[in-house]
Amino acid sequence: MTFAARASQAIKGAALMDFAGAFGLAMKYMLRPKKTVIYPNERGPQSPRFRGEHVLRRYPNGEERCIACKLCEAICPAQAIVIEAEPRADGSRRTTRYDIDMVKCIYCGLCQEACPVDAIVEGPNTEYAVETREELYYDKQRLLDNGDRWEREIAKNLELDAPYR
Amino acid sequence: MPIAKVNGVEVEFEPGMTVLQVAELAGEEIPRFCYHERLSIAGNCRMCLVEVKPGPPKPQASCALPAAPNQEIFTNTPMVKKAREGVMEFLLINHPLDCPICDQGGECDLQDQSMGFGRDGSRYAQNKRAVEEKFMGPLIKTVMTRCIQCTRCVRFITEVAGQPEIGLISRGEDVEITTYLEQAVTSELSGNVIDLCPVGALTSKPYAFNARPWELKKTESIDVMDAMGAAIRVDARANAVLRVLPRVNDEINEEWNSDKTRYACDGLSRQRLDQPYVRIDGKLKPAAWAEAFAAVAAKVKATAPDRVGVIAGDLQDAESMKAALDLFGGLGVKSLDCRQDGAQIGARPRESWLFNSTFAGLDECDAVLLIGSNLRLEAPVLNARLRRNWVGRDVKVGVIGEQADLTYAYDYLGAGPASLASLIKARTGFAKILKDAQKPAIVIGAGALAREDGAAILALAAEAASKFGVVVEGWNGFNVLHGAASRVGGLDLGFTPGEGGLTALDQVKKGGADLLFLLGADEIDLSATDAFVVYLGSHGDAGAHRADVILPGAAYTEKDGIYVNTEGRAQMAQRAVFPRGQAREDWAILRALSDHLGAKLPYDSLAQLRVKLFAEHPTFGAIDHAPGSTPAALDLTAVGVKGEISDAPFASPVKDFYFTNPIARASVTMAECSASVAAARGKLLAAE
Amino acid sequence: MIPADNPWIWFGLTLVQVALVLMGVMVSLAFLLWGDRKIWAGVQMRKGPNVVGPFGLFQSFADFMKFVLKEIVIPDGSDKAVFLLAPLLSFILAFGAWAVIPMGPGWVVANINVGILYLFAISSLGVYGIIMGGWASNSKYPFLGSLRSAAQMVSYEVSLGLIIITVILLAGSMNLQTIVSKQAGGFWNWNVFGGGLHNLPLIVVMVPMMVIFFISALAETNRPPFDLPEAESELVAGYQIEYSSTPYLLFMIGEYANIVLMCGMISILFFGGWQAPYPTGFMAHWSPTLVSLHGLLWFAIKMVFWFFMFAMAKAIVPRYRYDQLMRLGWKVFLPTSGIAVVLVAAYRVFGPGA
Repeated sequence: MTFAARASQAIKGAALMDFAGAFGLAMKYMLRPKKTVIYPNERGPQSPRFRGEHVLRRYPNGEERCIACKLCEAICPAQAIVIEAEPRADGSRRTTRYDIDMVKCIYCGLCQEACPVDAIVEGPNTEYAVETREELYYDKQRLLDNGDRWEREIAKNLELDAPYR
Repeated sequence: MPIAKVNGVEVEFEPGMTVLQVAELAGEEIPRFCYHERLSIAGNCRMCLVEVKPGPPKPQASCALPAAPNQEIFTNTPMVKKAREGVMEFLLINHPLDCPICDQGGECDLQDQSMGFGRDGSRYAQNKRAVEEKFMGPLIKTVMTRCIQCTRCVRFITEVAGQPEIGLISRGEDVEITTYLEQAVTSELSGNVIDLCPVGALTSKPYAFNARPWELKKTESIDVMDAMGAAIRVDARANAVLRVLPRVNDEINEEWNSDKTRYACDGLSRQRLDQPYVRIDGKLKPAAWAEAFAAVAAKVKATAPDRVGVIAGDLQDAESMKAALDLFGGLGVKSLDCRQDGAQIGARPRESWLFNSTFAGLDECDAVLLIGSNLRLEAPVLNARLRRNWVGRDVKVGVIGEQADLTYAYDYLGAGPASLASLIKARTGFAKILKDAQKPAIVIGAGALAREDGAAILALAAEAASKFGVVVEGWNGFNVLHGAASRVGGLDLGFTPGEGGLTALDQVKKGGADLLFLLGADEIDLSATDAFVVYLGSHGDAGAHRADVILPGAAYTEKDGIYVNTEGRAQMAQRAVFPRGQAREDWAILRALSDHLGAKLPYDSLAQLRVKLFAEHPTFGAIDHAPGSTPAALDLTAVGVKGEISDAPFASPVKDFYFTNPIARASVTMAECSASVAAARGKLLAAE
Repeated sequence: MIPADNPWIWFGLTLVQVALVLMGVMVSLAFLLWGDRKIWAGVQMRKGPNVVGPFGLFQSFADFMKFVLKEIVIPDGSDKAVFLLAPLLSFILAFGAWAVIPMGPGWVVANINVGILYLFAISSLGVYGIIMGGWASNSKYPFLGSLRSAAQMVSYEVSLGLIIITVILLAGSMNLQTIVSKQAGGFWNWNVFGGGLHNLPLIVVMVPMMVIFFISALAETNRPPFDLPEAESELVAGYQIEYSSTPYLLFMIGEYANIVLMCGMISILFFGGWQAPYPTGFMAHWSPTLVSLHGLLWFAIKMVFWFFMFAMAKAIVPRYRYDQLMRLGWKVFLPTSGIAVVLVAAYRVFGPGA
């Protein structure tokens, strides 16, 4: 560093140029509109592709969509899905067990991409905090109940996203 | 040899090869659905189209076109690509989009080939055709809409299994695969059509929707359901064996498996012994290993060695038999036996209890005499091999014993030993055929040996063999077909009564032995014995039922073990899953018991045991080698013991093909098969 | 103002005054704390506390309740007495200093002649609270934090002292009331401008002194960018790690009381304390109370401005490294302020006003 550069730096420092610049910038931002969203009362916009809590959907006639093809289980990079299947009394292919370990899950959305019948979908819900780890081991019934609860929103989101698929 | 060009590369080929085979020689993959190496050529799927010069200016079905010298074959031209895409599109027109719910998904030829050779979309907007499901018995699940009419199943069941029960009816769009009058398929090899089916039209019923191929842990192992030692692949998920598939082994099972091999696997998860039991006040109570060992040790110490009997069962690996032999032999026990059925065999030379011609050797022989063996029930895959030679090379077959449907024509020579004796004296008929044959073979089944006069019958058979020139320089056609997977291993080990020892049948008589140690022995009648019975095995079957102490062992999929098949070929089975619950590998249980008996066995690992086994019995070290492939001289006069022969007819030991061992008896699928076959037989009898 | 004839009345009145100052400082602290957070939030484009009360004004009271209601955790192996004494000491010292701060004409609890020395002494004692806290916690990070704090405070007190000497030289008194009175009559009489038009050339010395005083005040109160004793990326929370509930609250209040005190000191020393920035001749016939309230208002405005600067400094300046901190204190501020003392003294002796 040359002497001139050092001197100019020292003068700048002594004159609090940096501080003044930062001060101006800070004042500018202080007067701008705030980005804060007051969460439970306000919510930010959510994309139709948002990947939240998983649900298992049903057909309008109440028949569960999942056909136990196990593609989601195969593609799951966190190996969070466990499926067991056997023929149902009417001979159709259905799961006897569909577990998602929500603690393992990384919410990548590959399961819903893999699903040929749009049965497993990551819904818009993010508010499913629980008090024990065990409650995050979702079983089939829990997922189906979620599906019933969120069907309207999910159907709308799928419809909105359909042109881009 | 003639030369053809495949995509510009010159290939030498044998005359008579098809264009498809020549292309394969050049390393080019030709997609196909109907063509199969071991079946006749149908040429109806049209997937194998290639361009051939000289030839007509259109694609040719390579599977059905004989290759010609100086032919130019193209497999990668635009014409071929377009032809394949067209054929694929036509096949998919009526194929439902079922892949997610189809059990074939993940191992489906149609899936793979449409990915590899098909178009990306369909232009077909009309209605698809649908076909009703057909009933094919308890093993084969049908979804006939998926069928692409390749007719592999029809050709297999007609050509290989020899029971034309599946066929193609109607024509054009209405064509359907079905069984005769929609009856269950009764062939013992019916499960193979599931493997052959390139799509998901025929799938496994017991395995339906159970698992995807990618979830399964695949273990290459050896079958123990019969004495052939067929090569199998055990598919397991978690700790459950879900299915058993054949592996290709041209020396033994080629590419086929019997239904019992394939479907008895559900018996591996039923009726299992998963913890030790001790009988207290007449009832079996769960116990800890230490208690069970203490009970056994107390009894062994309180019993004189000559009052102790040890019987090895039919599914035992060589290691556990070796451990039992070392343990009880070391204690001075003489009454050891591996022949539950009382077969009178086991005296040296070794060749006297082997299938000396080897299975592959049957492909060379030109006359076969079956003595006391229902080959179709005792070794269905071997029977299919013999049938193939009967079809292809017109091998002459003579039968002395039960007159059963063997799926091929044979000369029926009689029911009992007397017929054999008269055959030896005869100069015409089948005797002449045998005499004139270049490579004649005699197959002596368990039905002939498992009788009081078995040794004498063996001697008689040996006499026949020497008369008909069955054993000559470079050819040994003297074959013994065993029924149990452990038998040859046991005989090789010398797991037979020593000086003054009792045979298995004598041990279980009233007053036979005071302490019976059953090593997975379930096929022996224990009703008469009043001995203290210790049962080491995997299933709660006959032996466990009578036992006073139960030591839970491992089934064949749960341990590494060596099995010697009826050819004398030692093969290694691999562990696919772990033993259930507290159960342990059999040799390890015997090793632990030896501590309690104060006669510690000198090995702490399976590897050490094998080292000792190979050192003392070198034949076990020759893994995958059949001694018969280099024929040794056999002194036929030393085989068997001449003596009185009763005139009772030979009876096959296999009463019900689906119930021959504890695993099969525990299997629900086998029970369904048995019932279904019985029902079908009943119906046929009524109709006839 | 204080009738000294009856000790009991004097005692009672002083007690009332102390209570008033204490209350006043505490309540204003609550809102300054809220303001502090609002300012950082604003710079970071957040809204800051806005839930408790209108605009979140009562956030500090909610926090106060929370701290008070929480369990006091005293770590095993700590020196219990010292552990609890430390925050108390911090708190008491921080408020003790307010006794000599003049908040209006005549509005001061103890108008002592060496007020400035008293202030200096009290703020130096503040380091004991931190050292005791860090040592009594019987834990590595708190101990390291308190060691840093001690070194840092000692280093910056030296230059603070020298700067104060320049002001004393200008005012000719160590009585804070006198120092403020001397700056009456308009902003040009403030010490930052040399303390009167005849001293205007001293502006070149006093403005830098004011800046150095401000920066040293940041260091003295462990405020960012000099919050090394509680640098969360290195020491988790420094000497405060083991503290919870009310003891922690006492530390916090003490710290903020110190910050506000420093704001007051800058105002008094350089910006005329409660003096209005314009001539106050027109107030000659105002009632004394009104004049005092007018002074208090100006003192409050100046303090709030300097508190705003404290908050902005925290919001915009990144934390110093420890060696940079030491270099700045010993190698820049100490010589500079030393030279300043010489210059001011020389000016007083040889300058036009002498």
